[in-house]
Amino acid sequence: MSAHAVKRRRLSPSPANSNSLTQSKASDATPLSSKEETPKTTQSVARKDDPLTKSHPGRRGNEDGSAELAMASGFYKSSFFKLQMDELLTGLRPNYEKQISKLQDTLHKLKDTIENLPDKESKSVAEAEKELRTVSEIVIPWPEPRPAKDAKYTMAYAKPANINVVGSVVLKTGAKTTDSRPVDLAVTMPSSIFQEKDYVNYRYFHKRAYYIACLAAGIQKPMDALGLDIKFGFQDGDSLRPLILLEPRSTSKSDPTPQPQIRILTAVEPTLFPITRTLPIRSNVRQGSKDQSEAGEPTPYYNASLRSEAAVSLYHKYLHSTAQKCESFRDACVLGRTWLQQRGFHTSFQNGGFGGFEWAALVSLLFEGGGPSGQPILLRSYSSYQIFKATMQFLAGRDLTTPLLLFASDVAVPDGGPVLYDGRRGLNLLYKMTVWSYAALRHESSITLKMLNESREDNFDRVFIVKVDEPALRFDRLISFPKAFNGDTLRAVREQNTLYTTLSKALGDRVKLISLASHSAESWSIRAKALTKKASHSLSVGLLLDADNVNRVVDHGPAAEEKEEAASFRDFWGNKSELRRFKDGSILESLVWSDQPSEGSIVLQILTYILQRHFQITEDDFSFTGDEYDEMLLDEGDGILAYSSPPFQSIKEAFSDLERSIGNMEEVPLTIRHLAPASPLLRYTALRVQAPGGAQEPADIVLQFESSSRWPDDFAAIQMTKAAFLLKIGDSLESSGAASSCRVGLENESSKVLNNLYLDIAHTSGFLFRLRIHHDREQTLLERQLKDKGINPREREEIAYALFTYKRLFVQAPRLTQAFRSLCTRLPLLSPTVRLVKHWFNSHLFSARICDELIELLTVRAFTQPYPWDCPSSVMTGFLRTLHFLSRWDWQQEPFIVDLSGDLTPQMTETIRTRFTAWRNIDPAMNTVALFVASDIDTDGVTWTQYEMPSKVVAGRISTLAKAAVSLLRKESHNLDVTDLFQTSLAPYDFVINLRPKFSGDRSAAVSKYKNLVDGASNQPSALAIVKSFVHDVEACYGQSVLLFHGDERCGVIAGLWNPQTLKPRNWNLKTAYSTAPVGSTESTGRVSINQLAILNEIARLGEGLIDTVDTGDLKA
Amino acid sequence: MKRDAPEVEGYTTLPLQLPTLPIFPKPATHYLYIRPHEPRIPDPDSSRSLFIVNTPIDTTETHIAHLFGKQLAAGRVSSVQFEDVPAKKTNVAPVTENNLSHRSKKRKRITADDLQSQLDEITLPSTWDRQLQKSGAHAIVVFADRASMEASLKAAAKAARKGTTIVWGEGISTDRVPALGVQRYLSHERRRYPARRELLTAVNDFMTVFAQVSEARKREESRKNAEPDEDGFVTVTHGPKLNSVAREDEMKELIAKEKKKAEGLEDFYRFQSREKRKERQQELLKKFDEDKRKLADIKMRKGKIRPE
Repeated sequence: MSAHAVKRRRLSPSPANSNSLTQSKASDATPLSSKEETPKTTQSVARKDDPLTKSHPGRRGNEDGSAELAMASGFYKSSFFKLQMDELLTGLRPNYEKQISKLQDTLHKLKDTIENLPDKESKSVAEAEKELRTVSEIVIPWPEPRPAKDAKYTMAYAKPANINVVGSVVLKTGAKTTDSRPVDLAVTMPSSIFQEKDYVNYRYFHKRAYYIACLAAGIQKPMDALGLDIKFGFQDGDSLRPLILLEPRSTSKSDPTPQPQIRILTAVEPTLFPITRTLPIRSNVRQGSKDQSEAGEPTPYYNASLRSEAAVSLYHKYLHSTAQKCESFRDACVLGRTWLQQRGFHTSFQNGGFGGFEWAALVSLLFEGGGPSGQPILLRSYSSYQIFKATMQFLAGRDLTTPLLLFASDVAVPDGGPVLYDGRRGLNLLYKMTVWSYAALRHESSITLKMLNESREDNFDRVFIVKVDEPALRFDRLISFPKAFNGDTLRAVREQNTLYTTLSKALGDRVKLISLASHSAESWSIRAKALTKKASHSLSVGLLLDADNVNRVVDHGPAAEEKEEAASFRDFWGNKSELRRFKDGSILESLVWSDQPSEGSIVLQILTYILQRHFQITEDDFSFTGDEYDEMLLDEGDGILAYSSPPFQSIKEAFSDLERSIGNMEEVPLTIRHLAPASPLLRYTALRVQAPGGAQEPADIVLQFESSSRWPDDFAAIQMTKAAFLLKIGDSLESSGAASSCRVGLENESSKVLNNLYLDIAHTSGFLFRLRIHHDREQTLLERQLKDKGINPREREEIAYALFTYKRLFVQAPRLTQAFRSLCTRLPLLSPTVRLVKHWFNSHLFSARICDELIELLTVRAFTQPYPWDCPSSVMTGFLRTLHFLSRWDWQQEPFIVDLSGDLTPQMTETIRTRFTAWRNIDPAMNTVALFVASDIDTDGVTWTQYEMPSKVVAGRISTLAKAAVSLLRKESHNLDVTDLFQTSLAPYDFVINLRPKFSGDRSAAVSKYKNLVDGASNQPSALAIVKSFVHDVEACYGQSVLLFHGDERCGVIAGLWNPQTLKPRNWNLKTAYSTAPVGSTESTGRVSINQLAILNEIARLGEGLIDTVDTGDLKA
Repeated sequence: MKRDAPEVEGYTTLPLQLPTLPIFPKPATHYLYIRPHEPRIPDPDSSRSLFIVNTPIDTTETHIAHLFGKQLAAGRVSSVQFEDVPAKKTNVAPVTENNLSHRSKKRKRITADDLQSQLDEITLPSTWDRQLQKSGAHAIVVFADRASMEASLKAAAKAARKGTTIVWGEGISTDRVPALGVQRYLSHERRRYPARRELLTAVNDFMTVFAQVSEARKREESRKNAEPDEDGFVTVTHGPKLNSVAREDEMKELIAKEKKKAEGLEDFYRFQSREKRKERQQELLKKFDEDKRKLADIKMRKGKIRPE
């Protein structure tokens, strides 16, 4: 028995064994490794077994700063991530010494001034106001509602109990980001000026406002002398808490590193008001003005706002002690801040209510608790990355709408937003977060967690570098209300809550997420009134749609018998609600929306109706973005939006029908192995399905016979055999009635090794198919020829090209089609997005320069590798994210890798990268391969891009255009006019050929004119085919000197560029492959230059009848 | 005299006026570079040939004959050889795929090679009624005799010197050369679909001759095999021979099978797994260095790593 066991152990040195070995090595370096997994969920335990994921031991090993240790521990998947992170952190850590030294004097002076301010007697509200106004010309920044003139309580000023610098600058938790990093000076107000009951009815906040005004009055002159502007602003956008801002005067703008802002905020002794008074459930606003909520209702925001004043120094000390205890805490704060900022989360309520401070406090708290049974989530030995990731895991995993109470029990909380109650300091840390901002935060953190757990890519860029918070990239639909909502915080909270509730009720499961964002008030002069009173702020709403439900036409409400529900449903929807009987016999309240394109999208219909009904906001009072992209696609793409629309389905059916007919053919001697679709039309990615005027783009299909040894071994003979087969198939299909007519066509006539023949099948359904025979022996023959050393370079080139074409036509195109057919069905928005992206490429005249398949691959990445966002659920996001990707893709240095079936393994990625490096070594000037685009079904990476498809110049132009589009998007954001993105600019081209109208768009003219030339409607040569032949001819003749750009059949121009290298005069040479003219007419200089006029003349004669005019730019005659 | 004519690198430069069009009214001049044909290995025709460079893309034999015969009125052109078009029916025997049979074509009246050249003649119908030349291409113009050639060169030099206006292709009747422009493309679209009968004939002819070629080759092969070699032996072969491609496929399959067999035995001994582990460590070390380099590279290209 034991012998058996021994044997077995020998036989199976399992990977788990070797893994634990390396793990224990790592844990030698830093203890506590065994504990670290305990707070994690089972998911992370499972990950432990997989050495390839970024597992924690490796992370910790790296964190000690020694690369050697990281090497020894053997976790390399993460090493590049770690290296990048170190770089990022070094770049983001502010230079505190420099900053402090700059400010030291100012701060000291400020402190002295404040300490020496004389106390002020207590006086009534009116007196206080008057005095400040007359003596110092200062308007007290009262919060709303301002104190009554006859208020019984008095205002006073006394020397502060304490003045301290607090916040991220002192704690060194700040990050050098685009935000300004103000230095916070906390002035602790003496308890003597407050009364016991001051926590009710804004009394504290009124006294505080007076105190702030007195401070402002006192420091006004000395600060002015120091060159600082003094202003009022709101702390964290909270109108209850105004503060003083000291800004260096704008004259010093030229200074590259301007002095940071100083903020003077107030604090009170923690013990001034008992914690029990400010618990979230308490009601502290008892007799408000008319629009106030009724007495007795909890005022959590007010309470927390008050409590946070008392907790300033407590939190400061707390964070400081955490920073002392844990070395990597500061770096973790930098990472957290960066992450939040990239996602648009800031401390102020208007921007999510979760910023750097909340992050730091949350991390600190998680060192002490937060786990499922109260145990800590973080350990002090964690690295900054581990802290970051574990916090992400906490945010994503723990739903805080079920309150989490730390150091406290039995704290009742009102329903609604998330709660993370810190019992020691009596504050719900997330009090500024709303239901929607919390949902957004969780959404983001769960995506980030997925990114961090993904073993395939390192995702560093997407976690920290990419700016995620770009509304049009992030949300599917955007609504903005220019002037509708109040600047007063408490009211804004209430109003936005109502709006949110209404919207989410109205849109239901059509949306996954609704996000509201507004701007916090700007700072204002101390001599002016605060802007809260009348000023209103624009509010923008982002919707994340649920693609499955968004287009549902009928909404089912409650049944008629459920009286109460039905009544409230009718109350909410008004006349829109109808009682209907459904097929299953149920009688339900229901809503019916229109699916006519002219009515706008259903979401827009609902919004228009609901906003009017509940908020009296008319259609003109809000703007709605996102539908334009669908509309554009409808306009340009023959009115087809979804892959499931009739044209796509009928061509699919026609194909299945044809497949059956071909399978049933009896006259053909070989049995059929496979008939594969290989066309955009058959994988739902063609921009247009039914070309107007009857002329039709054929859909490529590939037929493969069972292999037979009777095929000849000679290229010409193979083609002839194919011809015989095609004729036979055509006859058979015609006689069986499956096809109305079949014609054998010729292609590549100049080549013996390329495929020469195809069969055009006009199917009875009206669709045209183009069938080619796939004979796999051709590949072997070509490969054998390529190995033959005896052939000359030119032949070798031709054979290599033939092999390339063979693989593309017969292997990759069917494979890609298969992959896209299933992807488009699984991801309904893929098809419309790809088609819109194609339209974008067409409008920028790239269609001759890059192939359809390449566009498809570039687009699908936004769906299969959507990070840092989720999979797009609208055409807009899919389209814009594709452009965003293109704008960021450094194609010279990076390969493009897309995962089509989810089978992309790290080994494959490695292979692809090796291939890419090899290509760049072979062809460093990128003369044949510019873009390298690989996928899990095609690791070669050049199938769709070799032979200058596109060339380096074109690839560069694509990048430039994408960059321009993204920067326009950033600049305009909500007001972006979609058509601007599709505007064809002819300015960069050297000459422009305008086509005659009948060869662009309007096909009917062409049809009538050439009717006599052809016998049937389906045999009509399409205008596009002629234009393509023309472009092809020009390219064949002037390959070295001219580069042509044109769009699709609706595009009326062909634009051209001269190769800049040909523009210089050069010595006469037999090999000069373009038309030249001697330089200097009389003397024989022996130099020649390109003869542009002659070339254009030749082009014009070649295209006579096609061309309307040729615009030669500034070319002289 | 000759010195005065505009010359570039020994070529006489002949300006040609290109016909203007309503869609492109700007006058354009094309330049033809002409010199006597002097190939490295002279052939019988080269003494009566001119070498012309930078032919317009729409050049046809008719155009050249018209230019020298009518417009310059100097010499009769017998043929034109364009660049990239392989010379047909030269004295050299057509290159065949199988060189083995070269020696054994003595007595037979119709050899395999003859049949092969016959086979090469059978092609699919062309889809263009007029081929184009590449821009800047050259051509060899063979004249009726040497005198014609010399007179043509002189006439060209004279025309160039005097600045005589010669309009390219002017005066060629439209039925001699198919038109350019949209007509050419329409005819291409038509010719891409040859008539069924025409295609069938081509296929059948080809297949018949192809069968004859294979038959002839086989015969020659077997005869050759029947002849004793240098040592006086006759190699005896047996059975139908697989063609080489099918053989190659078979070999590939065999190799794949062998590979499959070898799999699964890698973790058999302890030393194997130990070595594997070591190898992995080495690999990781290498990768770490690579990562470092990559980061340095990124930093060099994009500057510091900073959030957008």
